[in-house]
Amino acid sequence: MQPEQVQTTDVDLMKAIVRQDERALAELYDRYRVILFGLLVRILNSREEAEDVLQEVFLQVWRRAADFDETRGRPFTWLVTLARSRGIDRIRNLAARDRVAQAGAREESEQVSDAVADAFRSEQRGLVTTALAQLPEEQMRPLMLAYFDGLTQSEIAAKLNAPLGTVKTRMRSGLMKLRELLADSKSAGFGFQ
Amino acid sequence: MSHDDYKEMIPAHALSALETADERMLNDHLVGCAECRRELDEWQSTTAGLAFEATPLEPSAHVRESILAKVREVRAEEATAKVVPFVSPRQNIWNSFGSLGAIAATLVFVALLVYVVLLWKENRALQSQVTTVAAENSKIKKDLELSLAAIKLISSPGSKMAELNATPMAPGATAKIAFDKTGHAMLMAQGLPAAPAGKEYQLWFIVGGEKMPGKTFATDSGGSGMLIDQVPVAAMKSAVFAITMEPKGGVPAPTGQVYLVSSS
Repeated sequence: MQPEQVQTTDVDLMKAIVRQDERALAELYDRYRVILFGLLVRILNSREEAEDVLQEVFLQVWRRAADFDETRGRPFTWLVTLARSRGIDRIRNLAARDRVAQAGAREESEQVSDAVADAFRSEQRGLVTTALAQLPEEQMRPLMLAYFDGLTQSEIAAKLNAPLGTVKTRMRSGLMKLRELLADSKSAGFGFQ
Repeated sequence: MSHDDYKEMIPAHALSALETADERMLNDHLVGCAECRRELDEWQSTTAGLAFEATPLEPSAHVRESILAKVREVRAEEATAKVVPFVSPRQNIWNSFGSLGAIAATLVFVALLVYVVLLWKENRALQSQVTTVAAENSKIKKDLELSLAAIKLISSPGSKMAELNATPMAPGATAKIAFDKTGHAMLMAQGLPAAPAGKEYQLWFIVGGEKMPGKTFATDSGGSGMLIDQVPVAAMKSAVFAITMEPKGGVPAPTGQVYLVSSS
C-alpha cells in the first residue's frame, strides 16, 4: 500500500522561494500557470504578450516573495493581483481610445472561445460563472470591463454611455453581491491552500 | 477627503478601475490606515476569484524553462555582486589625500541626504496633521449645523417628539425623533452596534398593521447615527417608530430584527 502523499501548501512554497529554492518556484508555476496564462490572454488578447508578462510575473515572485504576507491573504490572491496588475499596466500602454474601442471586441472573441473550451471548466470556474450569472447584466458588465479590459470608471461610463455616478454604484453593488455569493461558495469548497 | 470617502473607493481600487489621481491619493492613505489595508485585502480576495472567469490556457513549454533560466542568471549575478574584489594597497601618499577627499565628500553627501530625508518626513507628518485637522473641522461644522437644525425643528410651533427604546438587540441604545407639522423629521440615535458590511439601519413608520419604510442611515465608530426624513401623512397623528437592520439601500418591507422602537 502506497503511503498518502502530503502536498506542500502554497504558503510553504512561498517560504521556500524566499529561501531561494528554485524547485518551489517551478512547483508554484506548475500549479497556477494555466489559470494565470488564461487571465493574461483574456486581458491582452495575445498569447505572445501574455507569455511575456507571465515570465515577468514569476520573476517578480522570485524577487519579491519576501513581500508576501500570509496574514493578509492567500498566495493565489497575491499571484492573481500581481499578474493582473502587470497585464493591466501592459494594456494601458495602448492609447486609451483604442482600449475603450477594443474592449467589446475582446469580450466577443472570448465568448466564442468559451464555447469551445467548456471541457476545461474547473470546479472553481463553475462557481464563479454561476455567481456572475446571478448578477444583473447592468452590474456584471462594468465589472468585466474593469477586470478584463482594464478600463477605469470614467472610461466604462463613456463606453456604456451611462453617468459616472451610476457606473460607480453598479460596480460597488455588483462586487458586494459577488462577495456574498462567493462567500457562500466557500463553504462548498471554493478557495485554495 | 475623509476616511469614509477613501473606504468607498477601495472596491474600485481592487478592480484597478480608479482614475490615476484618485488611485494616488488612496495609495497615500493606505500607507497610514491599517483598516483600509485590511478592507483592500478582502476585496482583492474577491476579485482574484474573477480570474476563473477567463478560459484556462496552457502556455508554451519554453516559458517555464525561460523563467528558471532567468532565475539562475539572477542568482549568478547576485553571487558575483557579493564577491569583494581584492585591491592591492596604494602606496602613493597623494592617492591617500585623494581618498580622504572622497571620504569627506561622501560624508557630506550622506549628511545632506539624511537632512533631506528628515525634511521630507517632517513635511509628510505636517501634511498628515493638516489633513486630520481639516477633517475634524469639517465634522465639527457638520455636527453644529445638524444641532442647529434639530433645535430649529424642536422649537417650531406644533412640533412633536418621540423617544425610541432599545430592544434586547441593542441594549443601551437610544433614539429620539422630532418632526414638525409638515412632517419634516429628524432622527438622532446613539449606542447602536456597528452594522456589518452590506447592512444599514432603516427607519419605519408603523400605523395599525401597516409598516411604511423610511430612509436608511449608517452609524459612526461610536454607534451614533442621524437621519433626516419625511413622516408620511398617514403617520402624522399617531404612529410607532422603529429601527431595523436591513440590506444597504433599504427594503420596502422589514426583513431584519428591531433594534429600537417607540411606545405606541
